[in-house]
Amino acid sequence: MAAVKFRVNGEQRELDADPSTPLLWALRDHLGLTGTKYGCGIAQCGACTVHLGGAATRSCIIPLSAVEGMDVVTIEGLSEHGDHVLQTLWYELNVPQCGYCQSGMLMAAADLLRRKPEPTDADIDAAITNLCRCGTYPRVRAAIHRAAKQMRGGESA
Amino acid sequence: MSAVKTDAIDLGRRRFVISGSVLAGGLLLGIRAQRGEAAAGPWAPGTTQGSELSAWIAIDADDSVILRVPTPEIGNGAMTQVAMNVTEELACAWNNVKVEFCSINRDYREDSVYNRGFLPFFGGHGTDKVRMDYALQLGASARERLRSAAAQHWGVPLEEVTAADSVLTHAPSSRTLRYGDVAAAAAKITLAQEPTPKPQSEWTFLGKASPAKLHIPQVVTGAAVYGIDVQVPGMLHAALRQSPVHGGKLKSHQPEAVLKMPGVKAVVVVDPAKTVGTTLEQKSTWGFSTNPVQSGVAVIAEHYWQAKKALDALPVEWEPGAGRSWESSEAIYAAAHESRGSAGEKILRESGDVDSVTGGEVVEHDYFTPYAENAMIEPLSGTALVTAERAEVWCPTQDMIQAYWVTIDETGLAPEQVDMHQTYVGGRFGRSTQADDVRMVVAVAKEFPGVPVKTIWSREECFAQGRYRTPIETHFKAVLGDDGYPQAVTSHACFVGTHPLFQLSLGYDDIPYFHSGSIPNVRISRANFPVNVMNGAYRGPCYNSHAFLVETFIDDCAVAAGIDPLEYRLQLLAKWDKAWSDCLRVAADKAGWGRKLPRGEGMGIAISSWPAAAAHDTGTTLCTVARVAVTPDGVLTVKQVDVAFDCGRVANRDAVRAQVEGGTLFGMNTTLNEELTIAGGVTAEHNYDNYPMLRMGDSLPPVNVHFEALSGHERFDIIGEAPVGPIGPAIGNAIYQATGKRVRSTPFRKHDLSWT
Repeated sequence: MAAVKFRVNGEQRELDADPSTPLLWALRDHLGLTGTKYGCGIAQCGACTVHLGGAATRSCIIPLSAVEGMDVVTIEGLSEHGDHVLQTLWYELNVPQCGYCQSGMLMAAADLLRRKPEPTDADIDAAITNLCRCGTYPRVRAAIHRAAKQMRGGESA
Repeated sequence: MSAVKTDAIDLGRRRFVISGSVLAGGLLLGIRAQRGEAAAGPWAPGTTQGSELSAWIAIDADDSVILRVPTPEIGNGAMTQVAMNVTEELACAWNNVKVEFCSINRDYREDSVYNRGFLPFFGGHGTDKVRMDYALQLGASARERLRSAAAQHWGVPLEEVTAADSVLTHAPSSRTLRYGDVAAAAAKITLAQEPTPKPQSEWTFLGKASPAKLHIPQVVTGAAVYGIDVQVPGMLHAALRQSPVHGGKLKSHQPEAVLKMPGVKAVVVVDPAKTVGTTLEQKSTWGFSTNPVQSGVAVIAEHYWQAKKALDALPVEWEPGAGRSWESSEAIYAAAHESRGSAGEKILRESGDVDSVTGGEVVEHDYFTPYAENAMIEPLSGTALVTAERAEVWCPTQDMIQAYWVTIDETGLAPEQVDMHQTYVGGRFGRSTQADDVRMVVAVAKEFPGVPVKTIWSREECFAQGRYRTPIETHFKAVLGDDGYPQAVTSHACFVGTHPLFQLSLGYDDIPYFHSGSIPNVRISRANFPVNVMNGAYRGPCYNSHAFLVETFIDDCAVAAGIDPLEYRLQLLAKWDKAWSDCLRVAADKAGWGRKLPRGEGMGIAISSWPAAAAHDTGTTLCTVARVAVTPDGVLTVKQVDVAFDCGRVANRDAVRAQVEGGTLFGMNTTLNEELTIAGGVTAEHNYDNYPMLRMGDSLPPVNVHFEALSGHERFDIIGEAPVGPIGPAIGNAIYQATGKRVRSTPFRKHDLSWT
């Protein structure tokens, strides 16, 4: 089988693996990027959300063969120094509890803010369909609104 | 076959620690995952390292304070809380604090040096009195030795040296030293007398500051290592399948059908008969009866996807055993119903003579809560390396003592031959307290000795092999007096399950309605209905059901009496701790209880207490008021939730608020959505697509958390479980007010709530 070439967090990668391997497992098992989480395998929970070609995508149902030539950004590559506005606010507002679903939450939220810098509650409801068993939803919402405010140069933390 | 370089790592050298340094001006993440490199875990080394002032505290020359704690981080901040407790007395800068999971092997070798307080390696009691006092003492002792070392260094009297924010100061000469400067010297000092920790009134950190959880910087960069993320050089992956009927056995399988598939190394059989055993079961937290190996088969391969594909292709036949005969969960519940009042029933609480009360209005109904799955987003997993001489395990357990002794039991190795590493824990909510998951990981790995094997339960396997919430069916009967209050209450409950450990009465007979003397004649009973479908710990085990069963019944009584449900409860609880009444009044007041609501809206109230409702000033008592709106065609929206609680005192206000918010939403999900069903002896739900869970788009209510009902009693009690209980009955009672329809079973999504 031919190796699949794609970019991960800005770096060119070449992976010679079963083309049916979901991107999720290629990232975790083959590239050692374990920040992207397995939760359900059927695109229900969103823990595996990455940016594929710039859009939030559930990597558990994307076969490796489909990412040839594409750009993938994982939680490890969301920002250079872990200082994306959402990452900062996630700490300041004590958003995560166990934290397991939060990589996916952050990737979905970052994609939303890029598309809609001033999201409404309805925008958030539509975009953030990730599952969190700990019940961090109110803080996720608050942090996204705060991030939007900061990004438009309003209130800082 | 992979073109990717493998980054072998030295787990010892590249240890990750988590740091409070992010508090200092913006987010300065000291540590983040390097691209393409595997992250090592948050566990401490098993040996003395650095300048140790105790097994719990090491201070490096750069001023880092490394705290080694036994409490796993399961989402409630227990790890951070224990670090806060030490910090209060150590007088170090929080920015300098790093926290690691202690080594259980070291605990064994060094005479239980981390074993303090109630369930010391469990994440639910970070503020347990014994453990908190011990942490404060450790901090005070270390601080005094640092002061002594500085005094010796300067040749000045000890009284002239002060310690604050990781700096030692000699004011008369305006000299300072950092903790890191004298840590090595301090580590050699033995105090003539242990210092007395300061009184709570002088605390400057605990109860004052609300730092975020220390592991969040690693969470938000993807660097935090959960059980499923562990990477060990040379590691293989296993995909697991156990008998879909609990208690069934592997009948046959054909490994040759998959052994030639890419990456496949082996097909192994796990069997309870292979458990070697130990005579030291009493050393474990919970014993071994809840965690025997279940018969199953696993495929071991280079990568997980290869293992999963091969497992899916593996022909397997099962001998399902007696459990196959349960055609449906309804059949189980019907059989449980039939067994109520049987010879095996046990009277839990009795006063007066319920049979003597006749003639009043009778309130009599069945109340029911079904199976539910923990459904934590991190699936079960773990990694183990087993040889004839040793075992090493990396696992997201909720109780490392249990995991340790279960591993010893499974392998037959001596305690000193077993080493364990605690990872971060993705949720769990009780699922990983018994270490049946750790036992399975070890059982798989010992079939492929000498190679580390990571076993992952697929989501489908998690659903099929849960240790589910214990279903409880209760029949309550009240005979009301002329004043509308019960003269007699009789109840029969049936607890369904395999494991008696999780057939608990917490929140049932111990509620003060039934023992504080308000109701003169009481008889509260229970029976166990054994069934092969395994039950276990589900956040606030059984309490989460009893709160619904009891508080829906009490509301039925209030309605029958024509008395306001708040007033009714206040009257019934008047002879008990004021904290209960305070919780009721604060939650009701904040919610605007009694105000006129539009048609189709209603307010409901409920109260309970975890884990010892019958004891004065113990645990957390919590009251929830819910306001709902129900459309005529039955669409329910929970508009607002107000919670008041008493856990005594609060050490980290925001951490408590987060637990109450999250626990309330957890309980709301349980009540509105959750039901696991059995069909043909096996679990019918396999993934989140047919097991609905709340999401952000589900019109979630604001959860207002009120601290005004705190009694100030001298305890910092457990907070994670209490909020899960009252939210369900509060919503149900509000639905009654809105629609006149009473819901006496969960999940509410199965009820027709339409009204005209």
